[in-house]
Amino acid sequence: MRKNPYLTAGVVIIGLMSLAAIFAPLLSPYDPSVIDHANLLSSPSASHVMGTDSLGRDLLSRMIYGARISLSIGLIAVGISVILGILLGALAGFYGGWVDTLIMRFADIMLCFPTFFLILAVVALTEPSIFNIMAIIGLTGWMGAARLVRGEILSLKEREFIQAEQSLGASHARIIGLHLVPNAMGPVMVHATLGIASAILLESGLSFLGLGVQPPVPSWGNILIESKSTLGIAWWITLYPGLAILLTILGFNFLSEGLKKKLG
Amino acid sequence: MLRYLIKRLLGIIPLLFGITVISFAVIHLAPGKPAAVEQSMDPRVSAESRARMAKLYGLDRPLHAQYIDWVAKMARFDFGRSFGDNRPVLDKILERIPVTLAINISSLLLIFGLGVFLGIKGALRPNSLFDHSLTVGMFLLFAAPTFWLALLAMQLFSIQLGWFPISGLTSLDYEYFSPLRKFLDICWHLFLPVCVISFGSLAGISRYMRASMIETLRQPFITACRAKGLSRGAVIYKHALRNAILPIVTIVGLSIPGLLGGSVIFESIFALPGIGRLFYEAVMTRDYPLIMAEVVLGAVLTMIGNLVADISYAYADPRIKYGKK
Amino acid sequence: MENLLEIKNLRVEFGTEGKPVAAVDGVNLSLRPAETVVLAGESGSGKSVTALSVAGLLPPEAVIRSGEVIFQGRDLRRLSGGEFDRVRGREIAYIFQEPASYLDPVYTIGSQIAETLTLHQGLDTGAAARETLSLLALVRIGEPERVARSYPHQLSGGMNQRVFIAMALACRPRLLIADEPTTSLDITIEAQIISLLCELKEKFGFSLLFITHNLAIGRRIAERIYIMHRGTVVEEGSPQSIFNSPAHFHTKELIAAYEKIGRVK
Repeated sequence: MRKNPYLTAGVVIIGLMSLAAIFAPLLSPYDPSVIDHANLLSSPSASHVMGTDSLGRDLLSRMIYGARISLSIGLIAVGISVILGILLGALAGFYGGWVDTLIMRFADIMLCFPTFFLILAVVALTEPSIFNIMAIIGLTGWMGAARLVRGEILSLKEREFIQAEQSLGASHARIIGLHLVPNAMGPVMVHATLGIASAILLESGLSFLGLGVQPPVPSWGNILIESKSTLGIAWWITLYPGLAILLTILGFNFLSEGLKKKLG
Repeated sequence: MLRYLIKRLLGIIPLLFGITVISFAVIHLAPGKPAAVEQSMDPRVSAESRARMAKLYGLDRPLHAQYIDWVAKMARFDFGRSFGDNRPVLDKILERIPVTLAINISSLLLIFGLGVFLGIKGALRPNSLFDHSLTVGMFLLFAAPTFWLALLAMQLFSIQLGWFPISGLTSLDYEYFSPLRKFLDICWHLFLPVCVISFGSLAGISRYMRASMIETLRQPFITACRAKGLSRGAVIYKHALRNAILPIVTIVGLSIPGLLGGSVIFESIFALPGIGRLFYEAVMTRDYPLIMAEVVLGAVLTMIGNLVADISYAYADPRIKYGKK
Repeated sequence: MENLLEIKNLRVEFGTEGKPVAAVDGVNLSLRPAETVVLAGESGSGKSVTALSVAGLLPPEAVIRSGEVIFQGRDLRRLSGGEFDRVRGREIAYIFQEPASYLDPVYTIGSQIAETLTLHQGLDTGAAARETLSLLALVRIGEPERVARSYPHQLSGGMNQRVFIAMALACRPRLLIADEPTTSLDITIEAQIISLLCELKEKFGFSLLFITHNLAIGRRIAERIYIMHRGTVVEEGSPQSIFNSPAHFHTKELIAAYEKIGRVK
């Protein structure tokens, strides 16, 4: 435990967050969408540990359900980008030549686009939905994983055991899937944990602009929308969602540092 | 050096091509393409807009023809007219670009300057209390959503302390100021946004610089410099720094797309009239010509930024500038 | 004749955590003015650490536990940082094994040599530049102006080592420490560099502490040889006595090694 404090800290933080997300209905004191006209914008108290928002909804409950939304969006979006990245990176690394050039050029071009601009453009065309957000974040984030996988494959390709397999007539898919890709998974995992963090940041930014998760579904980002208008009046609406995001990102950062150390 | 320059500049052409293709593809092939808007009953898009758009894009024509039309128009700097007020998109962008450039360039300078400074300080006293608190601080800064920091900063510095204006680019009676006062007024308004925007990237750069500096100080030539009798200061600031800073230039270039993307949120929070906020408004009103132009613009600005960073690096490192013998 | 350099009972330890390891344990060494001494031994015998201790260039993980390093009558260990800076480069010069790695890659050769001149002799830019060119000519570099304008990566290993020698001798030091300066060079270049060093030593009269694992060099240039093994000096003497009647088993090993390779010069 002492040997890898980052890993421990990361696992603890993300673990707790995930538990909160999974057991949301059990843990949240109130229904997050219940409006309570008697308690509008009330500051933290015994009955509402994190206070209430301008519609009297309990902030703590909204935060717990928000964890559910944010974490699942982050996870699935990164899942998409990792799968896509592994696929493209493997193809580029294994086949080389024009396939490699094409895919890497594609990655270079994609990296020129500020992700937020692309996402917003797509959202402008379609209605913002959770699925769309996950898809677009996933589709714009594959470049990092692709580069890593490609690099690993390039260095492993020449090794003997691969050439042995090839001479035995193993299919390309088998070589790639069974031998090459698994070796790259370490760095990809590290990259993915950071990816989840940035996906959560992206989603909260989008939701904050009103283009992400739509109210009344609570997301940490869209809870912060209210903070613009309640600045100076209701500090708890600004503080808690931001703190939650901070803690989550920190957790994933610790996790990735810990994994980096563990993988050597 | 010249050869590298030419190679790099030629490399821009396929990149530009790719940018236009991807931009076009995203807009036209994503579910709910402009054509669908024509048929939608969305009240936000008036019949006039629909007709205008059909005409603008020649939506009845095959995609590749539409693409060529669009690129040809862009080459003439014709980005079409905004749906909102029918003004040329180019004009709307040009009047907002200075603000965004001012903010982002100031941020880059701050990120680079302060990041390098903090990185060096951390590297010189590794594992000291200072270094550890710096690392922890940077971790926190890195993890905090910057738009949240903006809100907190506004709360603390503008509302509670009243040191800075809450939002906007200029004060109410800006018109009556002397040129110097006008300049200072803008600086005062931009101070908080620039600081907050820089924080996230600052954390990253200072960590990289610290690592680079520590690595450089381990190099053999540093021992040789000491053997020459150079003072500690000369060894660190004249020799080590000059070497350690090289990769940082490229990394700073890599933070440009993040800065541009972030400008959408920041300019909205701080009510600054830049291209980020313009983009946000365009998205909210489904102003397609403006959206498309901004997407391409964002990518082009990033590309130029990276180009400048790479060329600066090549110029600064004699091993690249003069090549191998 | 008083000794230029005297090392007494030097003990250098590495590693601050856990059990420290002694890289050098109880070494005694002396050097007279204008004398060539070769410090020989296998890798890890502590010869480089000994030399680095003299110049005060040990890495932070190393600590001089005990002993004295007396140079021109002064105990160098008593010097402050600033005082030592004035000794290094001016009285004691150092050349290293792989010159390309030891030169700053982002500054020209000329500016790196001029830097020493400006630092220790207070020369202005013009005078320093002129002196740099004459130093480069001194080490038999054909086109001094071109080399002065070049960067380390543009020159060959042998050329870089000549540059390094020029830089080391810029301020006419009393002691030149050469830490395996030819180990990474071709044999022909190695011969040139060694004869250059001997020639310059004759001309300027500095003492040369030459570190190597190759006894053939010792035989060729040394007036005295010290053999080091596992952190201590195991044998000392003139080349003849070492080769004709080696006492310590490790000396015999070293001689056997060089004879096997057949590098008889």
